[in-house]
Amino acid sequence: MSSLHTKTIPASDMPDRPAFNWLDDTGEDADLTVMTRDVTKIYQMGEEKIHALGGVNIKIATGEYISIMGPSGSGKTTLFNVIGGLTKPTSGNVFIDEIDVAQLDANELAWLRCRKIGYIFQSYNIVKVLTALENVTLPMLFAGVPPDEAQDRAVYILGRVGLGDRVLHTPKELSGGQQQRVAIARAFANKPSIILADEPTANLDLKTGEEIIELMREMNQEEGVTVVCSTHDHKMLNISDRIAWMQDGLLKKIAKRDEVDIEISQLAEK
Amino acid sequence: MAHKEWHIDRLKMKPGLVWQMAVNSLKVRISRTTLTLLTIATSSAFLIYLLTLPRSDDLADQQTWYLMLGLSVLVSAAGVLNTMLMSVSQRYREIGTMKCLGALDKFVLFTVMVESAILGFVGAVIGVIVGLTISILLGLLEYGFSLFQYLQFDWILLKILAAFALGIFLTTFGSSIPAVIASRMPPMDAMRGEK
Ligand SMILES: Nc1ncnc2c1ncn2[C@@H]1O[C@H](COP(=O)(O)OP(=O)(O)OP(=O)(O)O)[C@@H](O)[C@H]1O
Ligand SMILES: [Mg+2]
Repeated sequence: MSSLHTKTIPASDMPDRPAFNWLDDTGEDADLTVMTRDVTKIYQMGEEKIHALGGVNIKIATGEYISIMGPSGSGKTTLFNVIGGLTKPTSGNVFIDEIDVAQLDANELAWLRCRKIGYIFQSYNIVKVLTALENVTLPMLFAGVPPDEAQDRAVYILGRVGLGDRVLHTPKELSGGQQQRVAIARAFANKPSIILADEPTANLDLKTGEEIIELMREMNQEEGVTVVCSTHDHKMLNISDRIAWMQDGLLKKIAKRDEVDIEISQLAEK
Repeated sequence: MAHKEWHIDRLKMKPGLVWQMAVNSLKVRISRTTLTLLTIATSSAFLIYLLTLPRSDDLADQQTWYLMLGLSVLVSAAGVLNTMLMSVSQRYREIGTMKCLGALDKFVLFTVMVESAILGFVGAVIGVIVGLTISILLGLLEYGFSLFQYLQFDWILLKILAAFALGIFLTTFGSSIPAVIASRMPPMDAMRGEK
């Protein structure tokens, strides 16, 4: 395995809190896994400019499970992709474990995606030509884990997500829910800092979807990995630590679950 | 300005993994692989057949021969390039996914290139064997055992080499452009656009 090296770069100055419209109350000294600062993303469609993100400031504490809600087109996927280093923001900064993503070269970005981030997509995105085991092993091999060790962990983790007897199956021999379990196992394989799950249950039936969300919550607690999950389903909110609402490319509101519970019960009283 | 220290690693590309992925991809997509091999083999078989065809003194025959040679190279080039282009561009999503898992740009690029080179090489081997066999069999029918007096077996190694070069060049060249584009694309764009 290659050894860590230290990169010393002038970090962009940390923002003064009052200068930004933080909706968070993550606490002054909480360990942050993600911080975005005035992140915007503009898509140029010919003449037209689409403001997919209009300045998002969010702080996500280490180990929390945060759900992101918002109507279609509100910018959830765009925010995930920007946080996950899958696309560059038009302006603003993204920090993952205090690393300014914009300062990384292509190789370091690959390292970030490999070691720090686990992705779960709506459409599973399992590599079709590989078995479940190979899919889970691959990110570990990219990370430089010895093949035997990688395989052992892959087998363990596939067992953990309930696919112990499906290890050598290829995606086309697996149901949607099972494929999503492979994706979860794969995302957790390198013990990342954060899991980004963009509507992981949208293609699944209600019961399977709930199982998937529960599994992610359990893994979040067992492995201490921060989870950010977008969903349209209000039922999925119960297990979140915090819930954020997006609208028109902006973060409209962010609240702890119990605060949300209170609001809902107040609404019910009226 | 504040300075901050981050612990960042650099990933290394593992040649063994490149080879494994390339071979696996060929094995799993066996029908596509077979089809591509057939295209390449036909091209190099025809090329080697033409190159060993008995020489004619007739000027018109010679012109026809050059025309056939030119056309056959052109047609095989178009066929192989198209096949390779298609096969890479259908995999943008897979490439994007691999990059999400931490694949380096050059890992993606090398995997595709190694895969193409294997196709080109194996296709040329088959093509050369088939081409030579046809050439010799037809020669036997026409001239009996004195066939080698007529067939153009001079410089034969060079001609075989030419057939190999054609096969490998066409496959690697055909896939190199989409592979370079796909490997450099941000993962999100690659996953979106099945171009
Ligand atoms: N690659 C792109 N090119 C142009 N416009 C884009 C692109 N990706 C997203 N957009 C636009 O950006 C806006 C936000 O899209 P995004 O996919 O982030 O929404 P979303 O909240 O994830 O929606 P959904 O719930 O339907 O998945 C939309 O108006 C969308 O049309
Ligand atoms: Mg979306």
